[in-house]
Amino acid sequence: MNKEKISSQEIIDLVASKASVSKRAAEEFLKVMIVSVEEGLLAGEVVKIKNFGTFKLQWNEPRKSVNVQTGDEILITGYYKVVFVPDAVLKEQVNEPFAHLEPVELDIQTKKNELIIEEEAVSDPLRLFNEQASEIKNLISEIQALSSKSTNADPEKKIDKEIIAEKEQTIVTDVTDQEIEETSTDDELQVIIDHEVELNEENQDYPPVTIDNEKDNYQVQLEIPEEDLNSDLPTTPYLDNIKSSNKRKVWVWSLLILLLLSISGTGAYLYYSSQSDFSDKNSATKISEKISITEILNTISGWFTPAAKPVTKSKTIVIPKDTTAFDSISQIQPVDSIQILFDNPRVYTDFIASERIKEGSRLTIMSKRYYGNKDFWVYIYEANKDKIMNPDNIAIGTLIRIPKLDPRLIDVSNPRCIEKAKELHDIYIN
Amino acid sequence: MNNKELIASMALKMNAPKSVVAFLLETTVTTCSELLVENKTIGFQSFGNFEVRKKEERLSVHPSTQIRTLIPPKLVVNFKQSTILKDKLKDISHHE
Repeated sequence: MNKEKISSQEIIDLVASKASVSKRAAEEFLKVMIVSVEEGLLAGEVVKIKNFGTFKLQWNEPRKSVNVQTGDEILITGYYKVVFVPDAVLKEQVNEPFAHLEPVELDIQTKKNELIIEEEAVSDPLRLFNEQASEIKNLISEIQALSSKSTNADPEKKIDKEIIAEKEQTIVTDVTDQEIEETSTDDELQVIIDHEVELNEENQDYPPVTIDNEKDNYQVQLEIPEEDLNSDLPTTPYLDNIKSSNKRKVWVWSLLILLLLSISGTGAYLYYSSQSDFSDKNSATKISEKISITEILNTISGWFTPAAKPVTKSKTIVIPKDTTAFDSISQIQPVDSIQILFDNPRVYTDFIASERIKEGSRLTIMSKRYYGNKDFWVYIYEANKDKIMNPDNIAIGTLIRIPKLDPRLIDVSNPRCIEKAKELHDIYIN
Repeated sequence: MNNKELIASMALKMNAPKSVVAFLLETTVTTCSELLVENKTIGFQSFGNFEVRKKEERLSVHPSTQIRTLIPPKLVVNFKQSTILKDKLKDISHHE
């Protein structure tokens, strides 16, 4: 962006030549203008210049600041500031290069993102669980390696550990099996109900398992001090740590599994309740009251709608027939003529101008220039459809012909015209 | 002070008819806006600078509906007062 600075002298020269007055007069005028604006501002007024903008005063509160070099606090006194608010006319003139752009809502994309996030949330616990399972397996193998290393390891202790390892592994396999069942047999609701029962059973199952583990731990801990006398010391605290972490892990698993099962169970339940469109009654009878209530509501509404709907339908159909077929009254005719104009395929024979596409050229800008509204670009596109492959990306050098349009079609003051153009826009863009 | 009042006060100072002042004011405004459209900075001695600045596109989120909207870039006119004007304004006492 090259920014040339224009001084007041240059402005004076330009104004003098434009208004064909002497430079001295122009200079005097400009001085007076600035002085009177200043005076107005000093009097505490808002000064407005037509088609340019308004000047007003804004009070800036005193604030504290810090001297960058010394670190001392300084108080910046409050002061008045001249604020310039450009007039709508000036705003539009300046913003011409970007006038064709419009704010775009991105809510459709966010919805998609939400869906993806939900999916991730569903798959996350499974992945987490798998990771933990492998981690624990590694820990167990480490323990086994350690115990085999220690020279006078008790065979009894080994067995205990193996039992723990087996138990843990069986838990792992049990749970993973359940997971697989869950995900694979999502076919019937009965299965889910079964799972819920299983879940409850498991609920009762877990505490004993953990208690067993604790017992084992105690055994090991009791045995170890005896060995300590002749075996190397560092093994015991290490083992203890691992045991306690295992215990914690078991608790974490059980909680995780319960959570997961309940989430997937309710999820599947909700999914099916919305899916089974009351068509297969086998499942409907099995499901709880929620659906039966909605079913009842549905049937109730069903009693009322057959009576009401046909009436409204016939009404809506009859009205247009009447107006089009029998009406020759002038009241409705102008509206119809526009409608006909909209509905008829437009034929482009006359052209007002032609333009070659350059860097930065846009149909919307052309439309704004020739028709007064950027929404009417669709008609330019229609007239040049054979040359334009994609209205968003036209090859540079393409000769675009601007068609002569029926003034009723591009009536800027008529909201219907703009509506129609927007309709066409949606058709061509999507 | 609106446009009419400004013209009246200027006419009084210049000893010129209002119509002439109005015409001159209009031409000044059009020349200024033309220069601004050409992306030039206008500096009025002892008053301030007018310049065009580009506001980059941004993403705004509606606070209640959470709808995200892409606001396109735009060009706006910016005015910065000169220090001379700022000093003059210091004389006004602030009462609020």
